[in-house]
Amino acid sequence: MRTFEYHAPTSLNEAISLLQEHGEAARPLAGGTDLVVQMKEKATKFAAPSHIVSLLRVPELSGVSFSESEGLRIGAGATMSQVADSPIIRERYRAIAEGAALVGSIQTMNMATVGGNLCNAAPSADIAPPLLAFEAEAVIVGPSGRRKLALEEFFLGPGKTALAADELLAEVRVPLPPPGMGSAYDRHTPRKQMDIAVVGVAAALTMAGERIERARVALGAVAPTPVRAPQAEAALEGQAPSDELFARAADVSAAECSPIADLRGSAEFRRHIVRVMTKRMLREALDRARSG
Amino acid sequence: MAQETEVREEEMQREYRNVGKPVTRIEGAGKVTGETIYADDMQLPRMLHAKVLGSPYAHARIKSIDGSAARQHPGVEAVFTPADLPEYKKNFSNRRGVIFPDEEVLFYGQPVAAVLASDPHVAEEALALIKVEYEALPPVVDPITAMEESSPLVRSPLGDVDRSEERGHVTVGVEQEEAEGKPSNIASQMNFKRGDVEAGFEQADVVVEHTWRSAVVHQSYIEPHSTVADYDASGELSVWTSTQAPFYIRDELSQTLGLPENKIRVTATEVGGGFGGKIYLQELMVAALAMAVRRPVKYIMSRKEDMLAATPAPQAVIDLKTSMTRDGKLTALKSRVVYDSGAFPGAPMLPGCLLVGGYYKCENLDIQGYEVLTNKVSVGALRAPGAHNVTFAIESHMDMMARELGLDPIEVRLKNAVEEGDPLPSGQPYPRIGLKQCLEAIAESEVWGRRNRERGTGNRGVGLAVGGWLGGLQPASAIVCLNSDGTINVTVGSADITGTNTSFAQITAEVLNVPLEMVNVTTGDTRTAPYAGMSAGSKTTYTVGRAVKLAAEDARQQMLEIAAKRFEAAPKELEMADGVVRLNGSDEKTLTFQRLGRLSTNFAAPFPAVVGRGAITTRKMAPGFTAQAAEVEVDTDTGEVTVLGFAVAQDAGFAINPLSVEGQMQGGASQGLGIALSEEMMYDSEGRLLNGNLLDYRMPTTRDLPPIEAIIVEVPSEEGPYGARIVGEPSIVAGAAAVGNAIADAIGVHLTDAPFTPERVLRALGKL
Ligand SMILES: Cc1cc2nc3c(=O)[nH]c(=O)nc-3n(C[C@H](O)[C@H](O)[C@H](O)COP(=O)(O)OP(=O)(O)OC[C@H]3O[C@@H](n4cnc5c(N)ncnc54)[C@H](O)[C@@H]3O)c2cc1C
Repeated sequence: MRTFEYHAPTSLNEAISLLQEHGEAARPLAGGTDLVVQMKEKATKFAAPSHIVSLLRVPELSGVSFSESEGLRIGAGATMSQVADSPIIRERYRAIAEGAALVGSIQTMNMATVGGNLCNAAPSADIAPPLLAFEAEAVIVGPSGRRKLALEEFFLGPGKTALAADELLAEVRVPLPPPGMGSAYDRHTPRKQMDIAVVGVAAALTMAGERIERARVALGAVAPTPVRAPQAEAALEGQAPSDELFARAADVSAAECSPIADLRGSAEFRRHIVRVMTKRMLREALDRARSG
Repeated sequence: MAQETEVREEEMQREYRNVGKPVTRIEGAGKVTGETIYADDMQLPRMLHAKVLGSPYAHARIKSIDGSAARQHPGVEAVFTPADLPEYKKNFSNRRGVIFPDEEVLFYGQPVAAVLASDPHVAEEALALIKVEYEALPPVVDPITAMEESSPLVRSPLGDVDRSEERGHVTVGVEQEEAEGKPSNIASQMNFKRGDVEAGFEQADVVVEHTWRSAVVHQSYIEPHSTVADYDASGELSVWTSTQAPFYIRDELSQTLGLPENKIRVTATEVGGGFGGKIYLQELMVAALAMAVRRPVKYIMSRKEDMLAATPAPQAVIDLKTSMTRDGKLTALKSRVVYDSGAFPGAPMLPGCLLVGGYYKCENLDIQGYEVLTNKVSVGALRAPGAHNVTFAIESHMDMMARELGLDPIEVRLKNAVEEGDPLPSGQPYPRIGLKQCLEAIAESEVWGRRNRERGTGNRGVGLAVGGWLGGLQPASAIVCLNSDGTINVTVGSADITGTNTSFAQITAEVLNVPLEMVNVTTGDTRTAPYAGMSAGSKTTYTVGRAVKLAAEDARQQMLEIAAKRFEAAPKELEMADGVVRLNGSDEKTLTFQRLGRLSTNFAAPFPAVVGRGAITTRKMAPGFTAQAAEVEVDTDTGEVTVLGFAVAQDAGFAINPLSVEGQMQGGASQGLGIALSEEMMYDSEGRLLNGNLLDYRMPTTRDLPPIEAIIVEVPSEEGPYGARIVGEPSIVAGAAAVGNAIADAIGVHLTDAPFTPERVLRALGKL
């Protein structure tokens, strides 16, 4: 690892000005579970930072809160453990809690943050598909103030986000889920834990009586960024749920994603798993929607 | 020295108080609390850290190396390119015989230069400043294409190949034919023939023929390779290193650096996992650099470097054709066994050829082995090197033939299993072995008991396989001393990688009939310890344990003689128990160990110090066999295989410490399951390692592993202490085959390529 200067700002403003001052040479540090590994391995995504700006003591980034009017706010600095253990997220945003609970081991979850997972922008980031399925928004803070962006637009490519060098992700906002909604997230990995999603699938179904009123399907690790599967969603909406319908939607989502072949799996294998998992997640989301 | 055989018969009658009892490992508490000192914990005054530059090509010619910019980097103390190295005796035919290549780079990640600095980060930064000009050469990556006449050569032709390291793991007195004549990528080959295989196939009712592939796997010890070396003003070289083989390193360094062996002190620091991979590797470089700069040098491999440039275990491609009569008799076995040795010779072709035809009686054999060079990192030992690759093949075949004939897989194996006197493919007869007993034991396991019950329910299946290992043989010695307070010190030269020192304490306590706490065992360094072979080939308890027992018996005899003189009695009339020697039945004529200690250590003491000595050699193998059963569940949509239960029956001869033996059985089985399910080093077509990290090189986690039932079988060996035989290695051997057979039981198809990844399972099912 190269030598660097370490900064520990205690407010969001201070953090932003440090980033402004050092520009591309600076890098924000949250839990470090991606960044420190990449610095050690000399990952080529970015030049070795000469300034590390720790976000650990920035109070504005921390915590999880919820209100019936505003919905859910997850601070960028909230850890995966906090999200996975949050009663409100487990109850109302089940897929998000499931995504957070899959990240690494307990030790990893205690360090890894939601902000770090999103800003690292791996196509396989486990918190991303559930947040996409809930249509979350990214709240970004920079020298010129705050801006909001649909999470879908936040990801630009592997390791690339819409953040400028002097901007930080402050929090994600997740709208209130409508009544009658059920959600689920799971991923396929060769190993049972401490692994990276070969495919991740989140599904959220909102039922109106016996029809699917709204369907959201989001996929991880099968495109340059975590993505929604709009054609699969369209195939589901307005229909009565059935195994055949889910199988059809699963075929559509497998067709509309664009996986690469790498050492973790061939494109053909990934598509197959998208099909299997989409079906399974839809069934799970439906069960949950029905059981309230 | 006491009469070994006499004592042996006597002890068979006795109830043991120390051996055969489960004891927690003496060094265990330090390891789990983090107090143990490893090589990386060592700090010496003026010490420098070494960082190594690896080749970005799998095959290239070095046109020039320029270290001048790195030398200018602030904080850098020295830069070593091939031209800067001190004189040493090079042998380019052996991996350990060359520090940096002069010209030809043979694998991706091969060290080509090093930087020394007080700050390891500075040394690492400076690596980027070394300018190397390479001329890329065509890499040869696949061993089967490497064998073709038309293949480019992996490297310039080999000179003399030194196979001493391999013999430490398996010692069987068979030579392989080194390559001669026209240069090719085949480093060596061998053939075992018996009877007439074609006639054997003719007689049979079922013939099965397949090709079985296994992957390059890494030992993945927790502690990467770690070494500190120092060369002092008196001309003595000290090396502290994480190794299984201190004396072997001493001998090799002596020859290579031209120092006498008594000027070299190799200390085996506590080994954070070795599994056969920590014999001798970077010690030469660290020693040479320390001698060159006359300062202590430390080199700790990063995880990535360890995966790129240590010595993983080879992939193998096994063509196998076997046949059986309707009543389950194996009639013929024909095999081509190809091991990919990487860029240097050293693949375990020999044990592979012996074991592929070594588990079953078979009158007609034709086994052809090839050790093939490729432009990949050269391979080393991993727990029973080479055995799992061939076992996967033969044990899958036994199941396939049994299934076609409608026979019980255990019955078929019992019918053909080798026993004492049966020949290995080389013709050597087996000594007493416990293969059949292991099969009988596994039949009683809980896991196997579920075979018929769970069958056909929800893609579950149960399968089994056997495996074995022949073991290494080397002389060994030990010293047992009585201290002045009556406690006992034992000194050995073997690195303790599996709890052997705990077993040695048990043996000594048994012989002297004292509580375990009275005995302390030390692994000395090569200047203070009596000689022992490398802790490899599962032989440490079998050989050093026997030496310890003799040394303890010698000490006991010396103590009895002192007491006999005091009591004016014959040693025979004395008994020894709980730290007291007494005249038979007497309450008055007693001498405590403490008193004996004083009588032999005080100023002007009447008796000489008690120093028991034990030294042995053995040429008799004590092979260890195992039978293992797996229960799996296959998700036929995703291809995921979950191992629900696993059982290992293994012949330990006599389990001196049943807790350690179980630990070895479970640990080896876990590694076997990793080989079965997920461990695989992946290379691209340019020979570059794609997954040099522990995320994409997947060892099983606790959640991937089932509870492992350990069933110890005891068929005493002829020479081991109390009948103990080799234990450490056999447990890894049968995992892939057992899981493969369980998968076939569940889904009706055998997978021919390990590991059994979800993608391979889906392909076998025709779903991709
Ligand atoms: C053992 C292990 C297991 C893992 N398992 C998983 C897994 O199962 N699933 C998974 O998805 N990931 C996994 N990861 C990856 C990693 O833990 C997650 O991506 C984690 O959420 C990253 O968060 P962090 O707080 O550690 O981020 P950091 O490493 O601190 O930062 C990651 C990146 O985001 C930037 N950043 C962080 N916070 C902000 C912010 N507020 N604004 C702008 N930029 C920011 C940093 O500069 C850096 O580039 C694993 C990692 C390890 C080491």
